[in-house]
Amino acid sequence: MQQDNVAIEVKDLRKEFKVSSSGKGFLGKLQALFHRSNKVITAVNDIDFKIRRGEFVGYVGENGAGKSTTIKMLTGILVPTSGTANVNGIVPYKDRKKNAAKIGVVFGQRTQLWWDLPVRESFDLLRVIFRVSGSDFDRQMAKLDEALGLKPLLEMPVRKLSLGQRMRCDIAASLIHNPPVLFLDEPTIGLDVLAKQSVRNFLSEINRTEGTTIILTTHDMNDIEQLCKRLIILEEGMIIFDGETELLKQKFVHEKVIEVEFYEDDCVMQGIPGVTVVREQGCKKWLTFDSDSSGIGEVIGTIASQYKIKDISVKEPSVESIIRNIYDNRIKLSTPWNKSFTK
Amino acid sequence: MKPELFFKFASISFQKQVTYRFDCFVGIVNGFLYVFIFTSLWKALYSQFDTTVHNGFTLTAITTYAVLVMAVRISFTMDDSIIYRKVMDGSIAMELIRPTSFFFMNLAENVGHSLFHIMARTFPIVIISLLLFDISIPFEPVRLLAFLFSFFAGYILISMLNFAAGLLAFWFVEIFPFMLFKYALFTFFSGGIVPIDFFPEFLKPLVNFLPFQYMLYFPTVILTGRVPMAEVPSIIISQLMWILIMGIICSLMWSAGRKKLVIQGG
Repeated sequence: MQQDNVAIEVKDLRKEFKVSSSGKGFLGKLQALFHRSNKVITAVNDIDFKIRRGEFVGYVGENGAGKSTTIKMLTGILVPTSGTANVNGIVPYKDRKKNAAKIGVVFGQRTQLWWDLPVRESFDLLRVIFRVSGSDFDRQMAKLDEALGLKPLLEMPVRKLSLGQRMRCDIAASLIHNPPVLFLDEPTIGLDVLAKQSVRNFLSEINRTEGTTIILTTHDMNDIEQLCKRLIILEEGMIIFDGETELLKQKFVHEKVIEVEFYEDDCVMQGIPGVTVVREQGCKKWLTFDSDSSGIGEVIGTIASQYKIKDISVKEPSVESIIRNIYDNRIKLSTPWNKSFTK
Repeated sequence: MKPELFFKFASISFQKQVTYRFDCFVGIVNGFLYVFIFTSLWKALYSQFDTTVHNGFTLTAITTYAVLVMAVRISFTMDDSIIYRKVMDGSIAMELIRPTSFFFMNLAENVGHSLFHIMARTFPIVIISLLLFDISIPFEPVRLLAFLFSFFAGYILISMLNFAAGLLAFWFVEIFPFMLFKYALFTFFSGGIVPIDFFPEFLKPLVNFLPFQYMLYFPTVILTGRVPMAEVPSIIISQLMWILIMGIICSLMWSAGRKKLVIQGG
């Protein structure tokens, strides 16, 4: 049943919320006193996935796609409407406390530290909560301090920390008990470029050295591109993609972009079949073509044989642009795709 | 929950109270005002009659009751909107990701809160009252011990009542009306205003059916000496039974409520 190398297993997981809506205006509100229409919203719609130990998975989707709801079910905060979830062999919503002892959680827009206490005391309290022995705690703190630069912050009350400082402390707090599974819900929200990079470096390091399984929710595609080998994309509560980040690029990038600069005397370009000009800037042009129907060499060959090229380069679309296209429905993901992958 | 952790949570909650010094000062005045109003009322009432004993209470006994019931009530001061606030701002999520019991964490917070009120309000009010009013408290060590036990049992009961009431926030967006209702029921049926002995006959079956009298009335009358020592064990057993019943209610509500819980603010 439960394989040893599986950290998280989710089957037909579903969460519905009842939203009662009252009518507009005074009369509508008055009517709502007697009769209220309840609407059921499905935040997470029968999703399946399996995450192996040591994986670093990006869990992305638009606002309201159900990312946080999934994380909250896996951390034992919310109870699913139906379906099952299993984290480290524990059912999180049944054995909330047991599960909590073996996971680390960071919610970017909240803190698990005590607002009025100095950071050090918060950490000490978490040490007692998670039953970490004194020597383990010291060792872990030394490691976290080295990676996240906590020392100057320890004596400060949490409410006086800047967002970036607080996030570093919150990430450290989630790792005090060295959990095998780490859930990060937008941990880089509101951080500056440097702070983001140091957080990323640290996450990638613990994933590599400790083998920590990490599930990362983010809107920053640089996070995904740098950290997550695997990507799960959620839309309206359903998984529309689950696979390697590289695979996403290969599978869904049917269009490639060529950036060409021509010599001045040969600036005017006639149409080439299958190639469209998307942008022009003097003698610099951006061309796209369908990489399924014509090979890149073919297209470049055609251009080179007809015009004098000063400079040419082929651009890979970024994960961000791919995902933007998915959100915009410009790339249609066929449904059989995600089902076949999870099986 | 480990005792060490319980005391840590309680001490944080205690320290939080210390920051509200002005609140505390107003609380002392307010508490003493209540004591003064009630003792004056009883004095005025008793002066209207020729008989000196009413429902088994002499004027000294009823004054003692009025002071001590208020002292116990102030000692039981806890923040009953705490769960509601945690649900409303969604911070309950951050507590559910800890391997600790939500009930005991809540209890620890209450204990810290109450400890502060016992030190800062109960003691001053009792001392002032001892000097100003005609009060008699039997100082028997066994009775004092029985009172302490009954006091703790009452404390756990009221903590459970507040916990259960607070859990309503899992179902309803606004629970203030429920809290008012709970407050009214508690204040009256716990003997917080008038001792149960003064209640009309038709109310007594209802009083016995409700847990409220085990929260304030019985701990208080054990201390004042109104209850013979022989009856104390059965009172404490009843308190423990109510703790069991309330405990079952709380845990049923907790497991049902968790399915309803929605985390506000993402």
